[in-house]
This record gives sequence, structure tokens and C-alpha cells, in this order.
Amino acid sequence: MDRRWISIFTLLAVLVVGWSTAAYTVPQWQQAIVVQLGEPVRTVQEPGLYFKLPFIQTVLYFDKRLLAYDASPREILTKDKQQLMIDNFSRWRIRDPLQFYRTVRNEAGGQSRLDDVIYSIVRENLGRHTLREIVNERRSEVMAEVTKESDARARAYGIEVTDVRIKRADLPTKNELNVFNRMRTERERLAKKFRAEGDEEARKIRSESDKEVQILTAEARKQADITRGQGDALAVKIFADAYGRDPEFYQLVRTLEAYRKSITDGTTLILSPKSEFFRYLAQLDRPKE
Amino acid sequence: MPDSFDFPPRGRPDDPLQDIQRILEQVRGRFAGTRPPRVNPWLVVAIVLALYALTGVYIVAPDERGIVLRFGRVVREADPGPGYHLPWPIEQVIKPSVTQIRKAEFGFRTVEVGPPARYRDVDPESLMLTGDENIVKLQFIVQFKVKSVPTGATDFLFNVRDQEDTVRDAAEAAMREVLGRNDIDNALTEGKEQVQHDAQALLQRILDQYGVGLEVVTVKLQDVGPPDQVSDAFKDVISAQQDKERLINEARGYANDVVPKARGQAAQLLNEAEAYSAAKVLDATGAAQRFSALQEEYEKAKEVTRQRLYLETMEQVLPRMNKIILDDVAGKQVVPYLPLDQVIKPKAAEAPGQ
Repeated sequence: MDRRWISIFTLLAVLVVGWSTAAYTVPQWQQAIVVQLGEPVRTVQEPGLYFKLPFIQTVLYFDKRLLAYDASPREILTKDKQQLMIDNFSRWRIRDPLQFYRTVRNEAGGQSRLDDVIYSIVRENLGRHTLREIVNERRSEVMAEVTKESDARARAYGIEVTDVRIKRADLPTKNELNVFNRMRTERERLAKKFRAEGDEEARKIRSESDKEVQILTAEARKQADITRGQGDALAVKIFADAYGRDPEFYQLVRTLEAYRKSITDGTTLILSPKSEFFRYLAQLDRPKE
Repeated sequence: MPDSFDFPPRGRPDDPLQDIQRILEQVRGRFAGTRPPRVNPWLVVAIVLALYALTGVYIVAPDERGIVLRFGRVVREADPGPGYHLPWPIEQVIKPSVTQIRKAEFGFRTVEVGPPARYRDVDPESLMLTGDENIVKLQFIVQFKVKSVPTGATDFLFNVRDQEDTVRDAAEAAMREVLGRNDIDNALTEGKEQVQHDAQALLQRILDQYGVGLEVVTVKLQDVGPPDQVSDAFKDVISAQQDKERLINEARGYANDVVPKARGQAAQLLNEAEAYSAAKVLDATGAAQRFSALQEEYEKAKEVTRQRLYLETMEQVLPRMNKIILDDVAGKQVVPYLPLDQVIKPKAAEAPGQ
């Protein structure tokens, strides 16, 4: 009975050791190459359970996911001789782990190789475009070209460059100050324009209303004078019509009225008895004397 | 994050076969010295196998999704609830939280969630070039979550390393690209909605290109303005606009004040003139009719009426005045000696004679 157990345990031990040295799994997010005595023999890119020769073959794992590359900002010169601080990033993956292992060995090596490749291509491509094109008009187009070229060149290292993008494109500090100055003067110009426009409009409104006032009152005065004149004229006509029928009598009545009005209290009158005024007085006096 | 999944997760350091051995030894040890045990080893093996099989039971919490890996390969995604996978080392389950909405801040960081919340500006992130080569200061947030499509969680876990950094990089690139297509006035005013919308669309497109399995919930501009260095000038433009409005309003107020007043004045002038005119005519009419009436009577008895009118007038006039009557001869001698200044002092002493 003891012997039977021993043989069972021996068998189990052999199985366990055999399994752990011969079987290996490649997880979903990784890929692997199998190295036999330093010589790569196989590439495994599909996840799952695999077997290898125990002891003489070893497995090297590489990431299969999209990896980040982020360079520190660097100054480039655009076609129109503007300096631009470009901070670009890239996403890449190990496409051919065997090639990758042979040429750059590991991720750190890949990063530094990418740095060389992408920087030179970015520099080259952006140098062919003006600042305006890079910032505004053809940004995605330019970067698509950079991506394509970087990818083509990185293939030699078993790397696929999925995307290169400009994260930030800023002006160097010196140029930034210029931009700020330009922005400030532009705003000042706008502010002046607005204030002047306000003044213009206000003056227009004020002067127009002044004009309206003047015309309005002058028109009213004119109309008033006309009305007054018409009244006067009508009155004159009425008088003339009435008095014209007997001018002699009018003279009498009007003269008498004038006496009443002009001779007030205390008026001193020096008159000759022979004057026209006393024609009647003398006549009336005579019979009494 | 998957970095922590580089080695098989939930690995069990002990081997099940050694378990069996250990249990058997314990059982033997316990009964040592007493009579040899009558345990059927196959029963022990069966029980152990059953317990082993039970380790494949798992529960996915409501905010999670279960991803079942068989020898490292994704075989299925499981919804929340209980589930079963073949026991280790054949299958294992990873349960990332997928409903959580994550947030990334650009141009600022929340220092304290508060309340009151405190923020810190991060200028290098927020200063951006616009299409017309101006610079704006723009702060925004991005909210994103794992896509709720069947393969969303798988994509999220296994397609991209450093997912959060990827979102950050892509969001910055997207926002700057969108802003590069706008000019400053548009970006500061009515174009904000459009900028948000475009940036979200572009960011989503980039993320889809990477296959990161993330969905952009929202891109929201927080604080958009001119850079601090020139914000005074920008504020002055706004106050200039208000000045303009104010000047115009004041002028309108002036117009509204003087024009109606002038209209009133004009109406007054006209009314006065009309009143004058009417009075003049009426007065004249009255006087004329009075004269006519008198004249009619006068026609009937000319001499008598003339005398009567004259006498009546004299009656009224003479009592009121000082009378000096001189004949021509006396007059020539006396007049030079009269104290004329005293005599004439009461005004209106002109000779009424004509």
C-alpha cells in the first residue's frame, strides 16, 4: 500500500514540475517570444495556453497593448521662421516582438528609438508648414503625414506607430509677450472704437433732437405770426368796413374817445379861446355875456 | 488598472495536489496509535475535487463587469450577478468597475473638494493658441466611462496601457486642435457650445481609434477667458461697449426730454396766436358793430347827436383838469412867465387839440 501511494505522489510531482516548466500562458494583454538557448525560435501573439520544451526554452513577454510615448516639449522652427514649442505625444504598440527584441530589446529601448524617429520627422514636417497651417488650417493633415512616416520608419524596430499628435503648440515666452502686446493693442483699439461709436451716435441723436426742437419752435412762431397777422388783418377790415361808411362821424367819435382817454386827472390845458376846441365853448359862452 | 494584472491575478500559491497530500497526512496523524483508518482514499479525492470545483463560483457586483479569462484569453464578459468559471488555473475572472464616471481636469486641479471647493490653476495646460494666433486661457473637464457595449470592459482593460493618461493626452490634443480652428472672439463668446461639441466628437474619435473602450460622457468648458496678462484690456472692451450703450441711452433720454417739451412750447405759441387773432377779430367786430349802431342813430339826427356826444365828453373830461384859458394877446405876454415845469409835470399834458 505504501508503495502505491509513493508511486502516485511521484507521478503527481513529475506532472506538476513538467506542467510548470513546459506549459505557459500568454494573457490577453501580452505577447511572447520563445527563446531557445538565447536564440528566438517562436513568436506567440494570440493569448492562451502553450507548451515549450522545459528548461532549454524560456519565454519573454512583451506588452501587446497600445503604449504611450510622451516627449518633453521642444522648440521647432516653422516655415515662416516662427519658433514654436511643440509638445507631442504618440501611441504605439509592439507589432513584431521578435524584431522588437532583436533591435531594441525592451520598452525603454523602444521609447528612446521612437524619440529619435518621431522628433526628427516632426521637425522635418512642421518645418515645411507655416505657423498658421500648423495651428489652424492643416493640423490634422500634417500630423497624419507625421504618423505615416513615423510608422514606416518604426517598422524596422517591430514597432507600429498608431498616432502622433501635437498635444500643445505654444509660442516661446518671448513671442508670447509679443502676442500679448498685440492682443492688448487690438482690444484697446476695439474699446476706443466702441466709445467713439457711442459718442458718434449720441451726438447724432442729440443734434437731431436739437434740430427738431429748433425747427418745431420756429415753425410754431411762423404759424403764430401768420395767425396773428390774419387776425389783425381781419380786424382792420372789419373796422374799415364799419368806419368807411361815415368817416366824418368816425373822426368825431374817435376824437372824443381820445379826449376821454388822454386827458387824465390834473392835466393842465392852456388853450386859446379861439382855438378849434373852443369853437363851441365860445359860441355857448357868448349869449351869457 | 491592468498594470496590476501583469501576473495572473488571484493566483493561489499552494498546489491542490499538495493539499490532498497534506490532508491525508493530517488524517493519518490524528489516528496514529489508534487503529488504522478505514477511509476510502477515492472518497477523499472526490470531496477535494468537489471543493476545488466550487472555487469557480463568483459574483459580479452591480457596478462591475466580469471578464472570464481562460489561460489568459478572454472568453466571455459577464453581467452583474452570480456566475461560474472553471477553477484556477484554467479560468479566472477579473471584475473591473465600469459604471463609475471618471473625470479629468485640464488647466486646473481641485485642491479641496470642499465645500468650499478650492482650485489651483495650471497655466501651461490652459493657455492655448487660437486660429488667429491669439492666446486664450481655457479650463475644461472631461468625463468618461467604460463603454457599455459587450466588449467595452475588455477593450478598456486590454487594449491600451495607461488609459487615464491616454484620455488626458488625447483630450488636450483635441481641445487645442478645435481651438486652432476657431478665432478668439468666437472662442470667448458664442462659439463655446460648438467648441465643446467639436472637442468631444474629436476626442471620441481619437479614443475609438485607440480602441480604449471608453466613452466620452461630456467635455465641458469651465472657465474661458483671455490670459491674465491681457484680461484688463478685455474687460475694458466690455466696459467700452457699456459706455457706448450708456452714451446712446443718455442721448435718447435727452431727445425724449427736449422734443416733447418743444412740441408743447410750439402748441402754446400757436394757441396764443390763435387766441390773439380771435380776440382781435372779436374786439374789432364788437367795436365796429357798436360804431355802426351809433352811426345809424347819428344819421337820423346828425347835429343833435354830434352836440350831445361832444357835451357828454366835455362833461367827463373838463372836471378832471386844470384849465388855463388865454387869448392870443395875453398868451403872447404871459406864456414866457408861466412856471411851465410845474404846469407840465403831470404827464400827458399834451394839447389834445388837432
